[in-house]
Amino acid sequence: MKILLALIKKEIKQILRDPSSIIIAFVLPFISIMIYMYGINLDSVKVTIGIKNDDNNPETATLVKSFGHSKYVNSINYDNEKDIETAIVRSKIKGAVIIPNDFSTKLSKGENADLMVITDGSEVNTANYVQSYAMSIANQWLSTSKFAKNTVKPLISVESRTWYNPDLNSHYFIVPGSVAVTMTLIGILLTSLVVAREWERGTMEALLSTRVRKIHIVLGKYIPYFLLGMLSMLFNVFLCTGVFQIPFRGSYLLLFLISGIFLLTCLGIGLTISSKLKNQFLASMVAMSLGFMPALMLSGLMFPINSMPKFFQYLTMFLPPRYYISFVESEFMTGGVYEIRIENAFYLTFLGLLLFFVVYKNTFSSLEKKPKSSFVNKQERGAL
Amino acid sequence: MIRDFLRRVIALMKKEFITIWKDPKTKGIIIGMPIMQLLVFSNAATMEVQNIDTVVLNRSQSVEARELLSRFENSTRFRTFYYVDNEEDFRKKIDTQKVQIGLHINNDFARNIKNGNGASLQVISDGRQTNSAAIASGYALQIAVKYGGEINDKKGAGINISVRNWFNPNLEYKWYILTVIVAMLSLVTTLILTSLSIARERELGTFDQLIVSPLSSLEILFGKAIPPLCISMVLTLIMTGIIIVFFHIPFAGSIILFLSSIFISLLAIVGVGLYISAICNTQQQAILSVMTFMMPAVLLSGFISPIEDMPVFLQYLTWLNPVRFFMVLTRGIFLKGMIFEDVFSNWIPLLIIAFITLTLASRTFKRKLG
Amino acid sequence: MDTVKIKNLTKKFGSTIALNDLSLNIEEGKITGLIGADGSGKTTLLRTVIGLLFPDSGEISVLGFNPSTQKEKLNSYIGYMPQKFGLYEDLTVIENLNLYADLKNVPHDFEKMLEFTSLSPFQDRLAGALSGGMKQKLGLACTLLGNPKFLLLDEPSVGVDPISRRDLMQMVRGMISPETTVLWSTAYLDEAHSFDTAVVIDKGKIIYEGKPHDLAKTPQEFENKVIDLMGGYSKTFSEIAENYVPHNIEMECTVIADKLEKKYGNFYAVKDNSFCIKKGEIFGLLGPNGAGKSTSFKMMCGLAKPTNGTASIMGIDIRKDPEKARSNLGYMAQKFSLYGSLTVRQNLEFFAAAYGINYTQRNDKVEEIIRVFGLDEYSEQKSEKLPLGLKQRLSMACALIHNPPVLFLDEPTSGVDVITRRDFWNHITSLSKKGVTILVTTHFMDEAEYCDRISLFYQGKTIAIGTPKQLKEQAKADDMETAFINLIKESEN
Repeated sequence: MKILLALIKKEIKQILRDPSSIIIAFVLPFISIMIYMYGINLDSVKVTIGIKNDDNNPETATLVKSFGHSKYVNSINYDNEKDIETAIVRSKIKGAVIIPNDFSTKLSKGENADLMVITDGSEVNTANYVQSYAMSIANQWLSTSKFAKNTVKPLISVESRTWYNPDLNSHYFIVPGSVAVTMTLIGILLTSLVVAREWERGTMEALLSTRVRKIHIVLGKYIPYFLLGMLSMLFNVFLCTGVFQIPFRGSYLLLFLISGIFLLTCLGIGLTISSKLKNQFLASMVAMSLGFMPALMLSGLMFPINSMPKFFQYLTMFLPPRYYISFVESEFMTGGVYEIRIENAFYLTFLGLLLFFVVYKNTFSSLEKKPKSSFVNKQERGAL
Repeated sequence: MIRDFLRRVIALMKKEFITIWKDPKTKGIIIGMPIMQLLVFSNAATMEVQNIDTVVLNRSQSVEARELLSRFENSTRFRTFYYVDNEEDFRKKIDTQKVQIGLHINNDFARNIKNGNGASLQVISDGRQTNSAAIASGYALQIAVKYGGEINDKKGAGINISVRNWFNPNLEYKWYILTVIVAMLSLVTTLILTSLSIARERELGTFDQLIVSPLSSLEILFGKAIPPLCISMVLTLIMTGIIIVFFHIPFAGSIILFLSSIFISLLAIVGVGLYISAICNTQQQAILSVMTFMMPAVLLSGFISPIEDMPVFLQYLTWLNPVRFFMVLTRGIFLKGMIFEDVFSNWIPLLIIAFITLTLASRTFKRKLG
Repeated sequence: MDTVKIKNLTKKFGSTIALNDLSLNIEEGKITGLIGADGSGKTTLLRTVIGLLFPDSGEISVLGFNPSTQKEKLNSYIGYMPQKFGLYEDLTVIENLNLYADLKNVPHDFEKMLEFTSLSPFQDRLAGALSGGMKQKLGLACTLLGNPKFLLLDEPSVGVDPISRRDLMQMVRGMISPETTVLWSTAYLDEAHSFDTAVVIDKGKIIYEGKPHDLAKTPQEFENKVIDLMGGYSKTFSEIAENYVPHNIEMECTVIADKLEKKYGNFYAVKDNSFCIKKGEIFGLLGPNGAGKSTSFKMMCGLAKPTNGTASIMGIDIRKDPEKARSNLGYMAQKFSLYGSLTVRQNLEFFAAAYGINYTQRNDKVEEIIRVFGLDEYSEQKSEKLPLGLKQRLSMACALIHNPPVLFLDEPTSGVDVITRRDFWNHITSLSKKGVTILVTTHFMDEAEYCDRISLFYQGKTIAIGTPKQLKEQAKADDMETAFINLIKESEN
């Protein structure tokens, strides 16, 4: 116990001496939450589109105006299609609406009129926005225009409701989600270099000649970085709920408990990398590839896991952020669903223990792996 | 003079290549890791929401309601349907994320259709996964409206949106996301390769030896910048080849423009990496600085949400972000077939960034000596 | 009673045999010196004895334990100081002591230890900011905590000045109890001569074991005897010097330091340092650790910017045109600083090109230097895998590859075995005869005798300058080591 305490004290002092790890634990969450709050907008994306009106009817001029007045759209008027094409290629506009010359004639006859919408398919997300904005602005216009009397009321209408987030404010789920990504990053990056460093600087050799056991070395790394990570977590939650007023409806106790388990899995990944690769360059490359990128791409934060091919759905089962993101979003937005808490906590605990075991197995109490030759084993049994 | 210069630069480059390339582990990780990620992400990163699980609370025992639901069942996007008979179970399914959306049909559904008042279908989506839930309820809307149109015998004026998606007629998400992923992976690799290169030599003490040799700052800069540039260039081209050959993404633009744009983009990124490396004393500091640069740079590159939509202050800030132009160029040339006039305006900021960072880096090499 | 009993120990790394059927007993309560050439298996032996490495065959018993299987029990009785001392450089002196005290389960009572090591005033300084000598003392202090029954020191005096070396020796002798067994690996033969037992190891085998005094009466003789045991050294003509193409230089002072000064805050690391080194002269820079030698050295070759003053090499001001000045310079750093992942040949090729040797001549030059430095066997090996002595030899080869008229050598022989050292100095003196100007630092006082002139450096200032003979007269001493200590004591008063 005393040995462990000494190692923890040592590690904490080292963390305090090199400000870069502290900075990363607090500055990175801050930057990323700021960006998600102010830099990224996933709800009402405003797009710039071009408009070309081939119909001379005065009524269609009001349609052009409605595009101009919409708060979701910036519109630029064009006279010929060539200019529209150039503008789309240069990303000046994300799409265009062309009103054909028979537009008003058809509407006044009570027929369906075509409205041509061009999108920039190279940006699929915005292309979808352009489509749906054009559709809703045009329909809105139709219901107030003088052609309204020619329309027929639809027999089935859809009433959409979104639970837990009725205002559809994406910050409510993307900010807690970003916490998970930063936590992954901090947990993995900070620890992926620390064991490698002790070998490089020769301090490991000195430690190994004292009474230090394997378990001390492993816990001596886990605990201090766990503390740092939890402080960073606390800071993250404070930023989310205290500063940016993201509603938190769940239980703080469980949030910290399960965040703690999640953090342990990340530390486990980092320490495994560190004890396997005794080279800081390779360790950072692998930490990025196994830590940051999958946390961003495969965790369900950006892309729905359900829609992935089967094989990749199974692959995500090995990713701790997947469970954590599911838990954290639910905890923030619903006020806690027991099934979700238990399921995610279970998988996280399992992965955490598995990784701890891997780290333990990869930590040597000597400079080389114990040979498996029978002669050592026999002596060992004799000695015990 | 020039020959001396070249001789030294080539020697330094050769040394860098050997250190990176001779070690099979290093080589494997530098090339293998990004390609592995490309293959995984390209399959997994999809916005085409599939396999939607649905909970249904149908209070209308009518033919119309049954018919509507069978439309859902026949759609390929929907997978499992849980039919429940009370609000409690309905809520539970959504709470526990067993389903992504819920359909609720009231008992007056059929009556309202028959008397022409218009019936309503309630679609409830799970706000915890706003993106995919919104897409899923969009699908539900399409199905319901289409069915409503079919059973309606009155015809009136309406607007028919006919969409043409340029450069990507079927709006294949893969086309878009793969160009983004390639750019992101080469960004990560290039930054790690360059940012650790000087910091590592500082840590090991070999940088002193370099400085004591007659190598000038400019020669060190060239020798340090070209090898990672070449390696990232090769890596990017391999990945581009993979997405063309295996994922059948049509390459619309000019190869020469594409190559030169990648070159210029990577040059700017190499500049940033070398500058970070020059100001850091240890590899840990370097890798943490890279993260602090990369995270905002990727998030604000326009890949998650468009730049025009950011606060004005951040829009100006993105002019300093090489990733922004890198993404515009790869996607633009690849999918949209940008021509020289379109591309050129994106080159200028990149060249300026490259020039500034590389100059700063080469000045910092020796200023750090104390 | 024997503390260590080793029988037929063999240890291989891949195909290299590090320890070859070695048997050895180490007596309790004695100090045993472990002597051997670089790569002879000294470190491997120490590591195997305490269970950090596992033997391939043979038996070891240490204090009655088997280190391979009972390492944890054994560890409470031993103190081991590895070559890099095992200090946490980002922790302070007292924090390092606290850590090791806790690890060894002894109370935090360091008063005697701190006093003995004279580290008391530096308790709160970071270990990384200590001078080499102080680091070593701290490392030893950490090792001595808990009064180990068996103390193993792996070359504790590499890179340490004579005064600190004496302190170190006194520390060990003063702090241990009579029953403590010490196994001390060293390259200093005068040190080994004062021990109870000397064990000479060569190619993984023991070639001598016995009392040093039985072998020779004086340290000097002892050195010669050990050299004979290790195969002998016959001074031949230096092929390196033979192949050196002299430059036609028409100046008296090829290296000039002009009022060099380096200030950190209010602290002068170097103050008003001026000297001129004549063509073909070997100029030694001597002084205790932390005296400002390294800083002066770095300023001379442009690695650190002087606060004031300047230096010139071959008449070219290092501050005005550093690149041109350096092209006349061969530099060998204190720490091995070649590219570890490159092979010997690739390192040489790189430095040849960096110094502007053109492609056609490069291959010949590299071949020649590989042959002359005796590196043929290792030319395709990664340089990080070489033993220390060969690394140093490669460093020197890299420094000489462009035929420089001026050579700066920063502790070129630290950590190098005695034969290699003699060989080195043979080359250095022969080169100087060919007109190469050499600036060298060293902690081996016997090496100082080879210098034409010496500048003794202390607390940032030159306290004496002159030929070895002049310095000895000035200090009224018979040998350089005493002269060194006397002159420094004198300047303190």
